[in-house]
Amino acid sequence: MTLPSDGPIPTGSLPGGPIPGSTVPSGQLRTEPVLACAGVRRSFPVGERRLEILHGINLELRAGERLALMGTSGAGKTTLLHILGLLDRPTEGSVYVAGQDAWSLSARRRANLRNEKIGFVFQFYHLLPELSALENAVLPAMIKLSRRAFRSNRAEFLDRATTMLTRFGLADRLGHRPSQLSGGEQQRIAIARALLLDPPILIADEPTGNLDRGTGEKVLEILLDEQSERGVALMLVTHDERLAKRCERVLYMEDGLIQADSSAPIPT
Amino acid sequence: MFRTFLSLRYLKARKTNWIGMAGILVAVGALVLILSIMAGFLEESRRTLRGNLADLVIQPSFQSSVLQENGDWVPMQTDVERMLEIIREDPGVAAATPQLQWYGIFAPDGGESALEKPMQDAIQLIELVGIDVEGEGEATDFRESLETEFGKKPGLGKHCNVGRPADLDDPFVNLREIRQRRTRPKVPILVGEQLAYLWGLRRGQEVSLVTATYDENSSKLNETAANARFQVVGSFRSKDNETDSRRIYMDRRALADFLQRDRLWSAVLVKLNDYKRDKDAVRARLWSKLHAEGFLSAPGIRINEFRTWEDFRATLLAAIQNEKALMGIMLSLVLVVAGFTVFALLSMMVTEKRRDIGILCALGATPRGVLALFLMIGLWEAVIGSAFGALVGVLGAYNIDAIERKLSSTFGFQIFNRDIYLFDYIPAEVSVSGVAWIVGGAVFSTLLFAAIPAWRASRLDPVEALRHE
Repeated sequence: MTLPSDGPIPTGSLPGGPIPGSTVPSGQLRTEPVLACAGVRRSFPVGERRLEILHGINLELRAGERLALMGTSGAGKTTLLHILGLLDRPTEGSVYVAGQDAWSLSARRRANLRNEKIGFVFQFYHLLPELSALENAVLPAMIKLSRRAFRSNRAEFLDRATTMLTRFGLADRLGHRPSQLSGGEQQRIAIARALLLDPPILIADEPTGNLDRGTGEKVLEILLDEQSERGVALMLVTHDERLAKRCERVLYMEDGLIQADSSAPIPT
Repeated sequence: MFRTFLSLRYLKARKTNWIGMAGILVAVGALVLILSIMAGFLEESRRTLRGNLADLVIQPSFQSSVLQENGDWVPMQTDVERMLEIIREDPGVAAATPQLQWYGIFAPDGGESALEKPMQDAIQLIELVGIDVEGEGEATDFRESLETEFGKKPGLGKHCNVGRPADLDDPFVNLREIRQRRTRPKVPILVGEQLAYLWGLRRGQEVSLVTATYDENSSKLNETAANARFQVVGSFRSKDNETDSRRIYMDRRALADFLQRDRLWSAVLVKLNDYKRDKDAVRARLWSKLHAEGFLSAPGIRINEFRTWEDFRATLLAAIQNEKALMGIMLSLVLVVAGFTVFALLSMMVTEKRRDIGILCALGATPRGVLALFLMIGLWEAVIGSAFGALVGVLGAYNIDAIERKLSSTFGFQIFNRDIYLFDYIPAEVSVSGVAWIVGGAVFSTLLFAAIPAWRASRLDPVEALRHE
């Protein structure tokens, strides 16, 4: 079973619900997709020509689903991830987050959507160097709330972040700056940060790509445990086959198109 | 929330931001300090420039007749007693006294030689002021000027050889040793201290005064030269250097006698109970009353007939005011430089923090939020820098004299030459509204400079920014 990836679907027919004609992987409840895109193309100007990176991607991610996105370098995985994470605007096509067409919203509401619905875990952790571990972890709450609202809920958020960091084995690292922490520790803080506001979607771009195997395993355990416990939809970009095998669904990208879905036999 | 938190954190963590803050501190401190000193100079100069001038000075033009509102010409009145009566009736008036003013040439070593050297400063135009001692004491600072300590002689540092008169209530008394001579007693005069320095006058010295008089009673326009011998019996020191170098006081009747004239007055000096509050009201009231009685032309026709002391010093006061404004403008340029520093530092920071900006966007910060974050860094720099700058400026202004003395003794040269000015301390006057304006201006201009890098930060593409390593 493959997704119709060989051509864009007219965006006009997509009021935010499931993409017509698309199928749901077997064994999955037919729920509303928390994240979807339809007919997404992305091209960049190179000199006078335009270089198209994505040639029309259709994708659905359902609540609690664990999806791995694989593909060769330059296949457009990260570009797709940025578009799904609302960081980049598709040249054509639409992105739906929790049923809302993200690019029809105002910049402010789109930022709110990103803040509340999507958690990011990057390959290079991307923590703010001036903040402590705990402060980095509560940053999404600070961004979400006004000063007054944050102050009245401060204890709750700090508690939530502390609990999470403690569970991740960072109890004695709460006051440390990122520069004082190892890569594995930093990535665990990044995971805590991504999960702080309980988003329904977690986007991870090679979360273990910058870690040694042992550390990567531990970080991955934490990530996958939290994902299944919270029922978060996880979209994972990885080059690691073993990691991909732990996902329910694997997509292969090549030349800006999704060439295969794991529901179909993985090409060998 | 993150804007306040992060901006303060960035400010604390990045010491380079403190350079911008220090720049604003210096600029605001200098502005507050210098403008306070200039305001002090202005205020002190006003006190000084007033010298022996009265609050209001009435100098009728003594035409033959005055045009009234109804079109009638009435003969101009010259009865000074009646005029004083009218003036003293006014509730705002504290005292009034007549003066006879004339000009002459001072010739201490014989009248002839004084006129021979016109290109040298041997010839000096002198204000001859005839006064009533008691009335003058009430209406002007005349009495104080007889009591003031001697100033230092410029250059040499010696004191004046002409002492103050012994009896302040009756200063125009011939000195005993001269009176014993057979010659007719000379007219006693009081000379300004600077004049005494300039001519090396001694107490008791005889001097000549040469002047031209105008005979009012003659049918022809007849100008007559007059000269007479006078005796220096004392000196005075008003607060105004110029007055001290060109004024001679003598008894009003003695001066009229010297000029051989009937009218014993040329001006009336008025002191008010509250000059600042009443000057315009009293002037308007008296002017129209005196006009109705035929003493003055209609108010506003001949503005020289009725002046406040400030009118006499208008140019100088305006010059100091102007200097203050110029200083303000020049020092504001320091503020602009400080603003540029903030601009450069923030621009650097935006470039360095591109990745952080990308992270913030990924976590849900809006472009406006990013703009506000960097604006806030500028705001803190401005607020903290100008608050400390204002503090430094105000403290400096209050202690500028002690600071200058300390610096002068440490470095061995005089920064503020107390001989040049009439006041021997550095005056400073801090105005709350002035400080508020400076601080407000500093904050505003810094925000303006911070706005450009902040806007740039808000326009960054988060994907590009995240890629930045």
